[in-house]
Amino acid sequence: MKKIIFLLTGFCFFFSGAYALAGTNEVVVGSVTPLTGKLAVYGEGFQQAMLLALDEVNASGGINGKPMKILFEDNNSTSKGSVSGIQKLIAIHKFPVIFGPAASSNFLAVCPIAQDNKVILIGAESAASAISTCGSYVFRVFPSDLGQGKGVAELTDNLGYKKVVLTYVNNDWGVGLAEVFKEQFLKNGGKLIDEFAHDEGKTDYRSEILRIKKESPKAVVNITYIKEGATMLKQAYETGVNVQWLMGSASKSPKMVALAGGAAEGVIGTYPTFSQETPQYRAFKEAWARKYPGKKMPIFGEYNYDMVKLTAKALKGAQSMSPDDIRAALIKASKGYIGVTGDKTFDANGDISATYGRWTVKGGKIGDYK
Amino acid sequence: MDYLLHILIVALIYGIFAISLNLELGYTGLYNFGHVAFFGIGAYTSALLGLSGLPVSLSMALGMAAAGVAGALLAIPALRLTGDFFGIATLVFAEMVRLFFVNERWLTKGPMGLPGIPRPSWIGEGIAGLPMFLIFCILLTVLVALTGRRLATSPFGRALKVVREDEYVAQTLGKNVLSLKIRAVILGSVLAGLAGCLWAHYISYISPSDFTLNETILVLLCVVLGGKGTNWGPVLGAFIIIFFQEALRFLPIPADFGRLVAPLQGMVYGFVLILIMLKRPEGIVSEYRGSRQC
Amino acid sequence: MTYYAQLVLNGVIAGSIYALFAVGLTMVYGVFRFINFAHGELIAWGAYLVLLLINPPFSVPLYLAVLPALLVTMAIGVGQDRYVYQPLIHGNRITLLIASIGVSYLLRNTIRLIWGSDLMTYGIRPVRGIQFAGLSITPTQILMIGAAVFFLGALYFLLTRTMLGKSLRAVADNMELAAVMGINMKKVSLTVWILASLFAGAGGFLLALDTNLEPVMGMTNMIKAFAAVLLGGAGNVWGALVGGLFIGIAENVGVAFFSPGYKDFISFALIFLLLILRPKGIFGVLTGVR
Repeated sequence: MKKIIFLLTGFCFFFSGAYALAGTNEVVVGSVTPLTGKLAVYGEGFQQAMLLALDEVNASGGINGKPMKILFEDNNSTSKGSVSGIQKLIAIHKFPVIFGPAASSNFLAVCPIAQDNKVILIGAESAASAISTCGSYVFRVFPSDLGQGKGVAELTDNLGYKKVVLTYVNNDWGVGLAEVFKEQFLKNGGKLIDEFAHDEGKTDYRSEILRIKKESPKAVVNITYIKEGATMLKQAYETGVNVQWLMGSASKSPKMVALAGGAAEGVIGTYPTFSQETPQYRAFKEAWARKYPGKKMPIFGEYNYDMVKLTAKALKGAQSMSPDDIRAALIKASKGYIGVTGDKTFDANGDISATYGRWTVKGGKIGDYK
Repeated sequence: MDYLLHILIVALIYGIFAISLNLELGYTGLYNFGHVAFFGIGAYTSALLGLSGLPVSLSMALGMAAAGVAGALLAIPALRLTGDFFGIATLVFAEMVRLFFVNERWLTKGPMGLPGIPRPSWIGEGIAGLPMFLIFCILLTVLVALTGRRLATSPFGRALKVVREDEYVAQTLGKNVLSLKIRAVILGSVLAGLAGCLWAHYISYISPSDFTLNETILVLLCVVLGGKGTNWGPVLGAFIIIFFQEALRFLPIPADFGRLVAPLQGMVYGFVLILIMLKRPEGIVSEYRGSRQC
Repeated sequence: MTYYAQLVLNGVIAGSIYALFAVGLTMVYGVFRFINFAHGELIAWGAYLVLLLINPPFSVPLYLAVLPALLVTMAIGVGQDRYVYQPLIHGNRITLLIASIGVSYLLRNTIRLIWGSDLMTYGIRPVRGIQFAGLSITPTQILMIGAAVFFLGALYFLLTRTMLGKSLRAVADNMELAAVMGINMKKVSLTVWILASLFAGAGGFLLALDTNLEPVMGMTNMIKAFAAVLLGGAGNVWGALVGGLFIGIAENVGVAFFSPGYKDFISFALIFLLLILRPKGIFGVLTGVR
């Protein structure tokens, strides 16, 4: 028993030491970012893009003279870790603004916590349509799936496919997008021959492929990720399935093309896009090259950059550091704000609008579909 | 300070979870490798009922009941199996339960999980509720641990230990071994369900990925590290593991190594598990075995 | 009709690999009377070691990488036994099982540490399957079936025609008696571990060649191999083969009736039912490597 008490006091001391953090003469914002775990590959890029924006904010005078800082909290790329992380940011540091984690499921897990505690939560890479209804303190600078689902339906329609098989990755993102697609597609007079979900991260999708083969459709709408998409394309090719694959934005990656090894040829998909011809984008590109010479621009880095810049603008205009004042300032700041990724004006749900482009794979390279 | 409360709450919940496994593994000698299933069943039942508007205390009670019923359903057929076969049956059962959570989207919302699970109304949401929740957890842990202690010294508990040491002896003594084991599993499942309920209502979000084999291994580690077959060993084990996990958050880890933290942690757990088995299978707190030391 | 025929064919392909895993698992059980939870990790390590060798800095051609990878897998298998299981083999059974879970967790996370949790491939260009009568099979899959037949045939020869095989069977029958009869226990246990790791590693490589690599591939396949072991009766080598084929076919054909998300569920449910209804396996032989 003595040993137990001794151990516990030891731990308590250890933790009390960890509280000496954060000064008063600066404006600090929290961020739950995947720095370890399966999304760490992307998390590092998000972090770098945020830090780039932060440098620029502080170079031009910070927040009304005070320097701005971001405290990064890791989430192990899991929803559990995200909840733990945001609880630490809210409980210990009491930050009024927190940048939410990547992946919709992680973001959705922390949404109610932010809303209940009246803390502003901003996301830069979560697309699930359910996030729109999270609450009044939740915003995102990334477009919702709703638009993209409609985009895929229009694409299918334009290409003249009236009967398709629909398959989607079995998570919030896939299901959300599939539902929007289905509604729009059926409204346009299309017909679904078969529809089923496929699990994330499997190595063998032959059973799913066979189910597609059985119906011998002309086109398959496959709303999935990079690895899953590549594996399915490859195994469909091996099984001798000849269809037109229609995909969403999440599988648009050179890695998908590389993993599928030639089987990705001819795939067509949609993705939210923004013009790369604007002065904002060019400035971002130059700034990136200056700060991280030789480093490739990360996926969704532009959105993270916009998020920090927009937040800084809002913090400057806020009457006090209370979440309600910041919230009002954020909505005001976003009105007509043109960032690297386009217009960031928040609507009533804290969402932004977006335009959609089309991509295709030709000769082993991803290009725009015309 | 609030953060310390958070860690204490998590550690206590895992403490209850560990006690419940200890009841089966430590006292009765049943290799239950699917204990997380009951944690999950408790969590999902209570969360779904709570979200549908039932008072949280009632939904927690029902969650525990559901875990107990599931335990009985598993135990009655599976306990006819011996040793490692029971282990595999439970492992497989846990995977089946998880796949059910993933695939029955109409009920569980599948991999999306259930956000916004309410807390008991008298505790209060958010940070304001932390101290109350901690008190609630402490009370429950003490209650569970005292029940465990009472049980260990009761005729029932002693009979369980005889079953663990030698089933034939127990039979010779006129004990109904199967019935003893079934009761142990049901009790263990109900308590695991309680831990699951607490977890769901505390963390406010659950998804199938919270109930994988990894959780079973974590709680198994809590039990064997603390000392299986003892009253406070599992709780101590849970505190050590949870504090160790959270302590990692405060280490300044360079971004390039971020990817390596989780696997390294897993390797440490695996290694510690092997090491304990090789060097000190009885754990930190060893079970009192009269004069016989083995 | 071809749809169902194709499902059965896919089942046979998957089943032949499950059989390779199951044979190793069942041999270890037959001799040492414990389920090695870390058996799955030998599968994964076999596959990942090949990946290690074909990439820089080694950049060995695929066919040359297989042999050294299998040798290292065997070393891991023998090492498991030597440093963890042997010291515990006479102690409490539960200690042994928990230790094997520990070994499994350690090895799996080592894979995560070195290669990450992401899906990996050997990077071979996909080949159109050979088509006949509306069915399709890839050259890799033919290799898989061929390898399974070869390995299991060799095992049959070893068990029935050699002295080593006879002593193996004797030990499986009764360890103490075999030791009394002067059978070299060290040699037998070394053989069992080498064979189990060889079969697991080779199967893992073939599986990865056909699909992809991921750290949990060992765990899932271990569970399925276990289903095959149960079906055939623990300790029974031929039972493992039939059991493997049965599991493979059942889970593939089952997809026609359930959602593909439940594919693993089918084999798990099968294990569960089998355990409860026929704990001794379909062939009813609990002991002895036949």
